[in-house]
Amino acid sequence: MSGGIRHLPILMITLPMVGAALMPFISYVRRGAVPWASALFLAASSALGLALIGKIPPDGSVGYRLGGWEPPFGIELMVDFTGYFLMMVVCGISLLSLVYSRPYIMREVEGGKITAYYVLFLLLSASMMGFVVTGDIFNLFVFMEILSISSYALVAVTGNRNAVRAAFKYLLMGAPSSIMVLLGIGLLYSVTGTLNMADLAMRIGESGYREVLIAAYAVLVLAFMVKAAIFPLHLWLPDAHSIAPSPMSAMLSGLVVAVSAFAIGRITFSVFTTRPWGLVSSTLEALAAAGAAAVLFGGIMAIYQRDFKMMIAYSTVSHMGYIVLGLTALNPEGLTGAVYHVLDHGVAKACLFLCAGNFIYRKGIRRIDQLKGAWQEMPWTCFAFALAAWSVIGLPPSAGFISKWYLVYGNVKADRVPYAVVLLLGSILAAVYCFRVIYYMFFQPGEEGAWGDKVADAPSGMLAPTWILSLATLFFGVFSYLFIDSLLKAAASLL
Amino acid sequence: MPEGATRSVVPLLPVLLPWISLVAILLMPKKAPRVRLWLCFAGSALTFLVVILMLPGVLDGKTYYFKLASIVEGLEISLYVDTLGYYFALVLAFMWMLATLYSISYIDHKHNRFFAFLALCCSFLIGCAFSRNMFTYFIFYEMMTFGSYPLIIHEETTMARRAGYKYLVYAIAAGTVLFFAIIANYFWGGGVLDFERWGLLSLETASRAALLTIFFTYIAGFGVKAAIMPLHGWVPDAHPAAPSPASALLSGVILKAGAFGIMRVIFNLFGVDLMKELGVHWIVAVFACITIVMASVFALTQDNLKRRLAYSSIGQVSYIILGLTMVSRDGALGGVMHLAHHALMKACLFLCAGVILVKTGKKNISEMRGIGYRLPVTMICFSVCALAMMGTPPSVGFISKWLLGSGSMQAGLPVYVVILLVSSLLNAAYFLPIIYTAFFRWEGDEEGAHHPKLDFSTENDQLMMGPVVLLALLVVVVGIWVTVPGFPYSLASRVVDFIFP
Repeated sequence: MSGGIRHLPILMITLPMVGAALMPFISYVRRGAVPWASALFLAASSALGLALIGKIPPDGSVGYRLGGWEPPFGIELMVDFTGYFLMMVVCGISLLSLVYSRPYIMREVEGGKITAYYVLFLLLSASMMGFVVTGDIFNLFVFMEILSISSYALVAVTGNRNAVRAAFKYLLMGAPSSIMVLLGIGLLYSVTGTLNMADLAMRIGESGYREVLIAAYAVLVLAFMVKAAIFPLHLWLPDAHSIAPSPMSAMLSGLVVAVSAFAIGRITFSVFTTRPWGLVSSTLEALAAAGAAAVLFGGIMAIYQRDFKMMIAYSTVSHMGYIVLGLTALNPEGLTGAVYHVLDHGVAKACLFLCAGNFIYRKGIRRIDQLKGAWQEMPWTCFAFALAAWSVIGLPPSAGFISKWYLVYGNVKADRVPYAVVLLLGSILAAVYCFRVIYYMFFQPGEEGAWGDKVADAPSGMLAPTWILSLATLFFGVFSYLFIDSLLKAAASLL
Repeated sequence: MPEGATRSVVPLLPVLLPWISLVAILLMPKKAPRVRLWLCFAGSALTFLVVILMLPGVLDGKTYYFKLASIVEGLEISLYVDTLGYYFALVLAFMWMLATLYSISYIDHKHNRFFAFLALCCSFLIGCAFSRNMFTYFIFYEMMTFGSYPLIIHEETTMARRAGYKYLVYAIAAGTVLFFAIIANYFWGGGVLDFERWGLLSLETASRAALLTIFFTYIAGFGVKAAIMPLHGWVPDAHPAAPSPASALLSGVILKAGAFGIMRVIFNLFGVDLMKELGVHWIVAVFACITIVMASVFALTQDNLKRRLAYSSIGQVSYIILGLTMVSRDGALGGVMHLAHHALMKACLFLCAGVILVKTGKKNISEMRGIGYRLPVTMICFSVCALAMMGTPPSVGFISKWLLGSGSMQAGLPVYVVILLVSSLLNAAYFLPIIYTAFFRWEGDEEGAHHPKLDFSTENDQLMMGPVVLLALLVVVVGIWVTVPGFPYSLASRVVDFIFP
């Protein structure tokens, strides 16, 4: 990759950041333009990402030195195919959630905070994009902090009591985990004297400070487990994700936790490449066990929820377990399954939250049993929900099926049949909680007067992103062959 | 690409044609409901026509292949028409056409939903029949499974909801087991799941334990649809709850999708020789025998007509499974042929039950005294099929039983003949009372009243009577002119020739 095109990844990250910085001025001139301007910045970022199609080799990575400083002194981006793929996922889902936000946020957030919402939103997307491609471990921490702080703020953005409480809970668990990440990085730096991931990978192999490195690894994994809400460190997630404004829930559930889970993979595959000591593998085993517990616990809790968004949030807990089980299989198939699951879970989960948002927007409905007969009133939202739920369960031919295939296959191949069975049980649980909602929506008559006067479906500005996401679950299932081959190659080169 | 196959879009056509119905439902104005329904029928008739047109090619030994997508090497979504798949497609396209015709008159509310899902299921089932590998089969199979849910709960009564719930529970569990089976097969089968060979797995590539796991998870996964006891629980609830044309399709075709899956597993993935080497065939056969006998015993105790027919279906589908696991030429032939034969008989019986329900509102056999005089044509057709089910010649039921019996002798296991005979006896025991009640009992017969006059005036609905009469005629005709090209024998014998050369 040469010429101007090599600057594209960093431009993708900086554009929304610049946008975030400009938003207050735009708001000062004309507040109504803020949503459109933000969307424009993210759209430009996506366009740059599309221009990179085919330019990133599936087996290998493209390094980019920020400001021309040589690593290990300067910051380096390592854009490999997996990172690029995730960057595009982040870009796409962020853009759609942002578009969806305009009507929704007008109602939920008081006027003065609308600009703040968009500033934080752009920062959140930019930091996630940086997070998945950075090649410098301290830079990883910086992006993670931007990501976390904007998430805390966005959960609380509506300012009502419950939201502030949920955000505070999130902060209480998130802040220590950030400090733990810093601790882990400090330990690594103390024994290797470098922060560049490729450099670290090399020096860890030669280093004699075994115990320090193992401690660093364990601390980092534990810290990212909190950020990724992996059972039993998920306690903050259900509250935060269900109380945040719906487009924000879509971002948090669809992207933030999944990207954080992927950071565990980054640490394992790009830094501790040689995985020489027993404790690294036993940490991974413990992680896999936690993942399996998450799959079952999240699924069971989701079944018992009465609140619609709470159910979707617990489903996320369950699906983070899927990703962890894929990562810890330590073979290309499992890793491919995990990466593809970030995509399809992101798309489907975002769609579910946007559907929930449509119901809240039109009727203030939050409970599942209020959805009886919803099909008669809001058919488009209901159909979008059904399609996305199809993918969450992992039924063919949706994208969820493809990722489930590779996750289960990876685990069978790694000789971990019990985990494969856990994954399958997870999808049974998903079927239970999704079909319950579908049954209420489509096959139960609505109670007399429950819906009041004739309700129109959500406005097209909200329906369009919902439908694009729900159709995307089908698209990425049917056309998965466009990506899977490259992802398999990329995964093989990572391992 | 499979060896010797012709690359062609032909297999795709029948999969896409039912979608005409869907487009018709969505686009036609609401003011012309009849036109919409007739377009739905046209869609299914066209599908059948296209399938028929493929017959000469298939009988010539041609195979067609069409690739939809290839995810990675060896894992592709593609269509492939071989003799076995074509045979299933032919049966189901024909049944679907008749059921659609019948439904136009039968279904009286929520037409759109019913016909839309009817068409969807047809498309997915043809996809199943024309799948090249287990991966593709599973994709279509799962979509068909969930697509048939709205058909089952169409009436939206409490009973239908409960049956639908049970159906979903069974279907989801079965789908998961099947998913595991396919993954395991993919892993131990060297990354291929193709159907074009007669035996893909072997003891050289996989351990005995692995093969046993794969085999039994497959059987358990498909066994739910094929209603092998003890996995049959959803069947007796779903059939009476569903509208009659839907029950006809459930029994006639959808249960067979499970049996067809088992055929693919036994013939194409494992191969008869490997199955014999593993020594697993008799285990499945024992379950099939238990199902055959027990289902008939359960059927005896049912008063609800459709429930009795449902139990009868459970037993009959196990005939197919028994035939496959006999490991003899005639047994396999009988099993494969029974797939079509049972579809003809049972669909006709369910459609008759539908006529009875619509014309008289009666569901229970004990209320049907003298019904043969009120609905003579229906009950004659019913009697023909019921006799055929018992194995009376000349009928398709006789042919199946003859071949299965001869197959058990070939396999050296006369005990299966005994099972078949016991089953025939039990069939007689639960079918003859229905015929007796219909024709030889009437109101006031015990006081010596003369039997009522035959009344042909109620059966004036050609859309419903046409399919019933046609099916009853076919039950006899196919049973007499067995070897006519296009009838089950011509295709099934070709399949069996490959397996037992």
